Amino acid sequence: MAHITINQYLQQIYEAIDNHEGSFCAELLSFKHPHVANPRLQLANPEDKCQQILEPPYDEMVAAHLCTYAVANHDFVEAYKFQTLVVAFQSHKEENALPIMSAVTLDLRIFANNAEQQLQKKGKGHPGEMLEKAAEQLMSCFRVCASDRAGIDDSKKWGMMFLSNQLFKIYFKLQINKLHLCKPLIRAIDSSNLKNDYSQAQKVTYKYYVGRKAMFDSDFKPAEEFLSFAFHHCHRSSQKNKRMILIYLLPVKMLLFQGHMPTHQLLRKYDLMQFSDVTKAVEGNLLLLNEALSKHETFFIRCGIFLILEKLKIITYRNLFKKYLLLKTHQLPLDAFLVSLKMMQVEDVDLDEVQCILANLIYMGHIKGYISHQHQKLVVSKQNPFPPLSCLS
Amino acid sequence: MCPVQELQDRVAQNRLHHFEMVPGTEKDRRPKGDPLRAVKEYARPAAGKDATNPTDLRPPAVLLKTVHYLINEIAATPSRHPWTEVYGFVFDRLRSVKQDMIIQRVSGSECAALLEPIVRFLIYASYRLCGEPLRLYDPRINDTHLQEYLSWLLDCYTADGGPNPNQEEFQALGLLYNLDSMRARQHAMELPQQLRTSSSVTLAMSIGQAFLERNPVRLLRLAGGLSFLQTCALHRHLVACRRDLLLIYSHGFSSRNCRFPLDRLARLLHLDSALAAQLCQLCGLRVDLENQVLFSKSAFVEPKQTSLDCKLYHRKISEKQTSLSRLLLRGLHETNTD
Repeated sequence: MAHITINQYLQQIYEAIDNHEGSFCAELLSFKHPHVANPRLQLANPEDKCQQILEPPYDEMVAAHLCTYAVANHDFVEAYKFQTLVVAFQSHKEENALPIMSAVTLDLRIFANNAEQQLQKKGKGHPGEMLEKAAEQLMSCFRVCASDRAGIDDSKKWGMMFLSNQLFKIYFKLQINKLHLCKPLIRAIDSSNLKNDYSQAQKVTYKYYVGRKAMFDSDFKPAEEFLSFAFHHCHRSSQKNKRMILIYLLPVKMLLFQGHMPTHQLLRKYDLMQFSDVTKAVEGNLLLLNEALSKHETFFIRCGIFLILEKLKIITYRNLFKKYLLLKTHQLPLDAFLVSLKMMQVEDVDLDEVQCILANLIYMGHIKGYISHQHQKLVVSKQNPFPPLSCLS
Repeated sequence: MCPVQELQDRVAQNRLHHFEMVPGTEKDRRPKGDPLRAVKEYARPAAGKDATNPTDLRPPAVLLKTVHYLINEIAATPSRHPWTEVYGFVFDRLRSVKQDMIIQRVSGSECAALLEPIVRFLIYASYRLCGEPLRLYDPRINDTHLQEYLSWLLDCYTADGGPNPNQEEFQALGLLYNLDSMRARQHAMELPQQLRTSSSVTLAMSIGQAFLERNPVRLLRLAGGLSFLQTCALHRHLVACRRDLLLIYSHGFSSRNCRFPLDRLARLLHLDSALAAQLCQLCGLRVDLENQVLFSKSAFVEPKQTSLDCKLYHRKISEKQTSLSRLLLRGLHETNTD
């Protein structure tokens, strides 16, 4: 592959197209394939040669692909421009174009990423520009797939999940401003009758992103379902991917099933010791929780889970206060709670705020009882004053 | 501030705003235009219309003068015209400033210098015109534009990279205005250390934290430490916050013998007793003859949106107000009042 001539290369493509060998053709157009290192294929003006051997639209498409010299020179902004042309041809309704579409859109996204980094280093363009453009192109490919009317065996609909995953990767990189763009994709896949038949790998990636989106929308129950699926079906050897899923699955599980904390072994295995202090703290140590959140702040913020972990505070309050009520009394002076908070080095809290915290715990169903202002006491039910957390949604 | 041709055209067509007329000529059949007070108006771009004449574009220095004029001489100056009209005029003319800014691709600190007073003005307006009839002031339109300008301003700061003395103020204002936005909060978390630990941003974050933890008592207490403009930014969330307090307390204190002193509740709500009592009633909570509130979870009802008049609760906020002109143009350099 590294030494064939341009004619031999074009001949191979021609035959692949003629024999409907979509996968092989895709390889010949993918930047993962060794042919891209072949200097004989790095022509400045391959259009004539391509036109001689190939039919439209392949002639122009392959010509654009052959401007691989740009990649050889590590000029990803240029490479991206040519790749855009290659991808543009995907809207032509040719059969068996799906493997090709997957290969070239993947390269498009990768080039866009690299081009972004290059532009940022030079201080040009505004951040996200290249990725947004790539997303628009991928979106048109998605629409082509979604509206394909061919029979199920040949349908372009099989490309929908792959493209969605590519788009999710871009949207999550562009972050919070663009996440709402995931919705139409999710809706389209959800309403498709193929949704359970895509490959396992694709489904895992899909559910991972849908789970993260749900987290962002504070839909924790569905988030837990999606992320659990992704984790359990993720291939055993993909340690890195499993870790990425856990980063999001753990906080959601902690929030939903507070009795259900990750084991030390699990955290060790996946190199997620940042969660270890948080896990311990939720049992009722507010001070430790604040320290743990502060210590690993950068990591949690970068992953986008800091705000969710902060929600664990309420549960920590509940567990902290529960310890006080394990004394055989069902009436406790409000002062005691204030003291317990002060002991946790919670500065800047007064008795009114403590009352509010308790009132909120009662409102949320974490405590069964009421506050008596006249007696300045919390009065709890003699039976089951602290309903188990997993009962509550 | 206004292209010569446009002024002539508008005088001829009798399309001057009374703020642009030579004083004394307002009642004439054709009022005279004052070139020192006429401001280029907003023209909706439309197909078939001539593109803006380059000579009509006002360079950034002129735009800055225009903005300062609009804020100082029009918005912040007492006028016999209702403030809704003042707002309408300034809002429109600022839109035209924005157009010129976009066409000329003004960026960096020049851009920020223009946007800052505009954002302050719109935040102030959101408070000042709260409750006005829809035909005179639409809070949603104000909000849309405010969010756009704010977003643009914050982008300017990011793109510029360098330190900006006003950035702290606006990051905090953005957080307060968008109290319920996870996106705004996440953005603030990702700010550089120095900004994040600045006093305004820290206070805004604590208020946001109190909101997330659903502790309205704490939220209202902390909000007391905000400056006037910061309170304006936060104020649209305060009604919901007070109602939340009553909801939570209805459950937390719900018992047959519940007696909660109205005065104490009023203090927690940062309202006077009469208003506190009224709010209780709107939420279905009884206040007995000894001014004790009877919290009861079964009694609490969602107050009807229309019955909650935010303006009633403005008095505490307006007490903080100082010189409007200084506030809008120079912002944070006033001390926080109690």
